[in-house]
Amino acid sequence: MKEYAIFLGCIIPNRYPGIETTSTSILKDFDIELLPINGASCCPAPGVFSSFHLESWLAIAARNIAIGEETGRDIVTMCNGCYGSLAEANHLLNGNKELKDKINDILSKVGCEFKGNSKIKHMIEVFSEDIGVKKIQEYMKNPLDGIKVCTHYGCHFLKPSEIKKHGSSERPKFLDELVRATGAESIDYKDKTMCCGFGGGVRARDIDVTLDFTREKLKNIISAGGDCIVDQCASCHLEFDRGQAEIKKIYGEEFRLPVLYFTQLIGLGIGMGQKELGLTFQNIPAESLLDKINGRKK
Amino acid sequence: MTNIGVYICHCGTNIAGVVDVEALAKRVAKLKDVSLARDYKYMCSNPGQDLIRDDIKHRNLDRVVVAACSPRMHENTYKKVLASAGLNPFLLEIANIREQASWVHLDKEKTTNKAFDLINMAVSKVRMDEPLTSMSANVIQRVLVIGAGIAGIQTSLDIANIGYDVVLVEKEQSIGGRMSQLGKTFPTLDCSACILTPKMVEVSSNPRIKLFTYSEVEEISGFIGNFKAKIRKKSRGLDESLCTGCGLCQEKCPTRVPSEYDEKMGKRKAIYTLFPQAVPNIPVIDRASCLYITKGKCGVCKKVCPVGAIDYERGDEFIEEEVGAVVVASGFDPFDPTSKEEYGFGIYKNVITGLQLERLLHAAGPTQGEVVRPSDGAVPKRIAFVQCVGSRDEHANKYCSRVCCMYAIKNALLIKEHHPESEIFIYYIDIRAFGKGYEEFYKRAQEKGIKFMRGRVAEIFEEPASRNPVIRADDTLLGMVTENEVDMVVLSVGMIPRSDSSRIQKMLGLAASPDGFFMEAHAKLRPVDTLVDGVFLAGTAQGPKDIPDTVAQAKGAASGALGVVSHKALLLSPLISEVDERLCRGCGDCKDVCEYGAIELVTLDTRKVAKINPAICKGCGSCVVACCNGSIKLRNFTDSITFAMLEAALGGAL
Repeated sequence: MKEYAIFLGCIIPNRYPGIETTSTSILKDFDIELLPINGASCCPAPGVFSSFHLESWLAIAARNIAIGEETGRDIVTMCNGCYGSLAEANHLLNGNKELKDKINDILSKVGCEFKGNSKIKHMIEVFSEDIGVKKIQEYMKNPLDGIKVCTHYGCHFLKPSEIKKHGSSERPKFLDELVRATGAESIDYKDKTMCCGFGGGVRARDIDVTLDFTREKLKNIISAGGDCIVDQCASCHLEFDRGQAEIKKIYGEEFRLPVLYFTQLIGLGIGMGQKELGLTFQNIPAESLLDKINGRKK
Repeated sequence: MTNIGVYICHCGTNIAGVVDVEALAKRVAKLKDVSLARDYKYMCSNPGQDLIRDDIKHRNLDRVVVAACSPRMHENTYKKVLASAGLNPFLLEIANIREQASWVHLDKEKTTNKAFDLINMAVSKVRMDEPLTSMSANVIQRVLVIGAGIAGIQTSLDIANIGYDVVLVEKEQSIGGRMSQLGKTFPTLDCSACILTPKMVEVSSNPRIKLFTYSEVEEISGFIGNFKAKIRKKSRGLDESLCTGCGLCQEKCPTRVPSEYDEKMGKRKAIYTLFPQAVPNIPVIDRASCLYITKGKCGVCKKVCPVGAIDYERGDEFIEEEVGAVVVASGFDPFDPTSKEEYGFGIYKNVITGLQLERLLHAAGPTQGEVVRPSDGAVPKRIAFVQCVGSRDEHANKYCSRVCCMYAIKNALLIKEHHPESEIFIYYIDIRAFGKGYEEFYKRAQEKGIKFMRGRVAEIFEEPASRNPVIRADDTLLGMVTENEVDMVVLSVGMIPRSDSSRIQKMLGLAASPDGFFMEAHAKLRPVDTLVDGVFLAGTAQGPKDIPDTVAQAKGAASGALGVVSHKALLLSPLISEVDERLCRGCGDCKDVCEYGAIELVTLDTRKVAKINPAICKGCGSCVVACCNGSIKLRNFTDSITFAMLEAALGGAL
């Protein structure tokens, strides 16, 4: 059995618990256990916090890593934002002894020490590297043939590419490969690697700009013929799901495009229902997608 | 009895402004064995030189110290003065009181004291210097030129026309290089082939040029004046002496594969020549695509050859050539834009490279000069050029490739003149039109209505239905992000070192600059020399450059190589290491540390001893340090001389 410490972050436990429950239950089938990190705080958000005060941001991120390290396991996140914060903090602190000592000085006040022994991983890596596309393919009970998926990678997992090093940051493939493993088709669409609109604190500062991005992405996906969007980040997930509701409210424009975290798509492929997947907690109903999956059988 | 003369130079105010030269001369005159010390405004001037010469003759000086600038400047000047006065030139020492004293200090008294110490050291050394005689080595009076593009061709012709023999080795099956791939040349728009092919013919008909095509230099040994090169002449799959170049085999060959020479824009046969004016006009069988070689079928070329030249099993030949100098003119490769993923090269069919466009524009190219887009063969009406692809880019190459601005403008103009209704955009960071007539050419393009868009292109995406590329760029003049749908995009790719340049670098022991191109001995004053004596550089192997600069450098390299091979013998510096064979125990530590490969172990009676090749030894002294029992000494830099200098510097503190 393999074990990871799971860093949940804020959005998943508070708004999209289905991402956690689906991921946890699928991983059990592959003999992978997730251990809780007790007392974890906000990651904190990578772009905004760090640009205001790098050391404060580092200290909070380092504390989260430090208490994760106590489990003696590598740390997994399910959100690109959390991954961005923890991975970048880990990279900065491990590469700069002076900075590490300074941050550990701060952490000593709360009885914590950042050692830098644990790797920071993203859930997508657990699926595409630990488990692998082939096993996911075999795992499918109800392959999603005929479903057209538009993938959205998000920014903070891939960039800055000098630190993240997950291969191509302009034309990544791993999420599309996972989607294909479920039997669904991963289709190309305009500006696939464009930001969802959430990033850099824009959502909190200027909702019009945020939703302008989101709308453009949604339009591109729909005009390419996508049945749903599949993401790997809690923030992007929120942006596409809640953003659609806000666009409807503010601009009166309705897309009704189902939004799935990639483990939720895999869940669909093993026959998990709406409730199990936590889709009932989401703003945008997934009926159209489920109807297509079910209708397809006949 | 030793009679040393010391000459202190004022160098105008360069030295005298900080050093009290008169007081210094008085102090120096009191040093042991110094029979006179003079100061003078410019020692390197003719009167200054005469001063030394007269003193040697009339005051019977037998050793000389000049306290002046760095020995890199005028050591040779003063050596000649000594020689002309009948004194051995190695009985001279230079005390560098300019770069090492007056230029780097302000305090007059302390600087004068330092200058005194430097002179005192030089006096201590010159007292113990031994007269040395330069040896000479015979020179093989011919030159090896590696690469027969325009650089190698020009170098070879210049050397041959002056009357020396050349061995010219070209990797490809024809000479001509990258220039032969080009359609027209900027800024005069003369066709590349029209100005290149006469030179190619001249090479093939010049009796002084021994040409090896489809051949590679595999090994080079030896040293300046005496190199030995091993050349592999690759098999063309036919007997070259029989082939008449009739072309029947090419015509009948049933196999068609993408042509590398056409940058994959067209097809070639499995037996093929590169272009109609190829020199020599003899085809090559591509073993990877030939049906007979891969599957044992076909054999059509053999059947149709009227002279029976085809010989599939023919092997490579090896030839050894001896030369006195080497010119490396191995050229460049175009940057492969696949790694700039945001531009979609290799994914979007209508995104091509500048060199691919050259092939389309070439009258003898795959489309006979008509520019068509790859997806549907239509004539593109809206074309965008993207500049600095792989150049001036932190994620690729930091340097400017120096030709892309001009070739993009040239090709834009050619298309515009062919199809005046077409709309052409050039996306640039800066336009670098630096050569003669280039700025005027740029102006002409602007007047013809070519649109220059300032800003680096962020990305290119494709409209799926039309397969039109869309350019997204930050227009820094408008201050906004723009999108522009065009029919075709041309990536102005830069130059990178040839794929096999690291092999050549190792083979010759050359240095490379951080950009990967071969490094010249001095960026300004020795632009065609390398740090390996007798090896010279020409053309883009040394760095990106256009045709005029390449030809100029090729002529420079020819003159450098002639400077070696025009002599029957070369004088070798006697300031080198010497092995005391009685003491040497043949451990080989000296051989291991020698950067220049000057040392070999030879058998003397029954034991091994180190032997130093005086033609290669640079007198660096590494072997002296490595030698565990002091059996190597560096002439005129012996331990006792070093200690004497230290004693002088430290004022007897030792």
